[in-house]
Amino acid sequence: MDSLNLLAEGFSSALTPMNLLWVLVGCLLGTAVGVLPGLGSSMAVALLLPITFALDPTAAFIMFAGVYFGGMFGDSTMAILMNTPGQASAIASTFEGHKMAKDGRAAQALATAAIGAFIGGMVASVLVVFLAPALADFSANFGPAEFFALALFAFVATSSVVADSAVKGLAALVIGLGIATVGIDPFSGAQRFSFGAPEMFDGISLITVTVAILALGEVFHIASRIRRDPGGQRISSAGRPFLSRAELKEAAPAWARGTAIGLPFGVIPAGGSEIPTFISYDVERRIDRRRKHPKFGKGAIRGLAAPEAAGNATTGTAMGALLALGLPVSATAAIMLAAFQQYGLQPGPLLFDRSPDLVWALLASFFIAMIVLLIINLPFAGLWAKLLLIPAPYLYAGITVFCGLGVYATSGAVFDLLMLLGLGLVGFLMRRHGMPLAPLMIGVVLGPLAETSMRDALLSSNGNYSVFVTGPIPLVLYSLLFIVLAVTLRSKIVNRTRRDV
Amino acid sequence: MSNPVPPPAPATEPQRTETADAGQTSSRTSWWDGRSGLLLSLLMVLFSTYLLIGILTMDVGETDFPGPKFFPGILMIAGYVLAVLLALHYLRSPERPQETSAQQFRTFTDWTAVLWAVGGFLLFALSLERLGWIIAGAMLFWFVARGFGSRRPLFDISFALLFSSAVYLAFTVGLGLNLPSGILGGGF
Repeated sequence: MDSLNLLAEGFSSALTPMNLLWVLVGCLLGTAVGVLPGLGSSMAVALLLPITFALDPTAAFIMFAGVYFGGMFGDSTMAILMNTPGQASAIASTFEGHKMAKDGRAAQALATAAIGAFIGGMVASVLVVFLAPALADFSANFGPAEFFALALFAFVATSSVVADSAVKGLAALVIGLGIATVGIDPFSGAQRFSFGAPEMFDGISLITVTVAILALGEVFHIASRIRRDPGGQRISSAGRPFLSRAELKEAAPAWARGTAIGLPFGVIPAGGSEIPTFISYDVERRIDRRRKHPKFGKGAIRGLAAPEAAGNATTGTAMGALLALGLPVSATAAIMLAAFQQYGLQPGPLLFDRSPDLVWALLASFFIAMIVLLIINLPFAGLWAKLLLIPAPYLYAGITVFCGLGVYATSGAVFDLLMLLGLGLVGFLMRRHGMPLAPLMIGVVLGPLAETSMRDALLSSNGNYSVFVTGPIPLVLYSLLFIVLAVTLRSKIVNRTRRDV
Repeated sequence: MSNPVPPPAPATEPQRTETADAGQTSSRTSWWDGRSGLLLSLLMVLFSTYLLIGILTMDVGETDFPGPKFFPGILMIAGYVLAVLLALHYLRSPERPQETSAQQFRTFTDWTAVLWAVGGFLLFALSLERLGWIIAGAMLFWFVARGFGSRRPLFDISFALLFSSAVYLAFTVGLGLNLPSGILGGGF
């Protein structure tokens, strides 16, 4: 009941006109970048990060939450209408969703996706409200060994589970961790890797890294193919954007199953909502095969409903893990963690004690964002598709100018612009050769925590390495990690031997 | 509008890169074909070497056991190992991206477009404080638009200036950010 009182207080501070405006701005921006091909919520959050420092923390995070959820809604619109998923989590929606659209049921497909995302997000938010405080209390006992285990878990899971190639994922992680070590060492005060350049005494700014890797690198990557790739064919979304009773009845169990599959993945740092969307798609397909008239392959409503619900359920519980444990599971969550740190806040157990106003207003804004997103997506999905009329050269030119603006505005130094360009080229190289970006971002953001807790633990044990595996929590985390790795390895082998789509 | 994401299904499956154009490979089989991913290996070597030089030249006083070199040292070794693994991967199984357009090009990457964007950004970074936000920003906009295939250079100049001026006004006057006014600043 305590949670409910606190949530009510959160609503009262989130429902002020100014904060409502930020939710709305976040939702609109998130949907817009989700709809535009090639842009995902991580790029939107990266570009907004420098600008939000003109806002107070609560407003900034409320806006970020809107962008994060909005990106998920917008992505599915394009996945359905054009068969172009903006990020990996929307790929599973293209299979049956685009077939529904080709079948003349585009509007119903969009409605199925929007309602599915709404249900998944809502259930996840309710769960976060009740479980996050308990999770935070639990993690209040964490010492250096536990935090190190947690960070290691996030590193290994994101770089080997999510990535196609574990070597590429780990390489991205090493670069991220390495970037995080530049600057003054907090233990000894030694200058590390700055080679006397005063611009690097404080390390490489997180904003520069974020904008370079997630925004500028993406622009270069799109430039490298835009004049060669054939354009997609957009299907008109005219029709009734509401579902009939029969369709609702057909989709309802899939929404429920998708949500149930998506929920746990937000807390297990297995790298965002890509895996649960595929699992739930697969589950629906298996169930469908046993029915009298299998519908998969012909635009099955369940094949779209389940991944949409799963994707947003994961996004929702991922926010809970971020707030309660300080554990980011995706690139977007890593940027939000970076934003918390820039404001001097450390997500995790202490956040719920020290800044309850912020936490509960943010949690309340999740619910508001879901409702706003359902309203702006259900009847108006067709209008959003009009964004594609912006000529590509001007869209990407504008994004590039905003990259430069954001970095120069926060640092005021040409050095950071050159660093931005260099890291942007690294981001381009990584994209071109299929090296995942999320491990790099998570490495940069969690690197200092990992190093500090590792050295703290070793200092207190006089260099005895067994300190990392004493105590129940690290042992549980390591065995969980082992199970996750084993399951991934197994499913990779199974996929290789039996691939049927 | 073209789409930067390759058509859906392949994006998560490794076969995307392997299904090479079996018919035309004979016409362009350089050893480097599909092995440009070795650049990733080079990137790891360069980064690890940067860490190595930093560790060797680091000025550390007396510290207890896990000193400031400990953690970067692990990363450096891991970086070299991963560089070797990446190199082995690309030597054994080259990754040829599938050409999605009807034409065949010498390189998968459209380097002209990338160079317009990168060059534009470099010029922007170097000239921002001298020329001021409005001119440098407009120049960046124009270069990137050009790289992305805009075919109206004169119209773009005016549009770019309009865009950078609008950003300047919105962010200096509206949000109070400090953007350089440059050569336009003194005269007006």
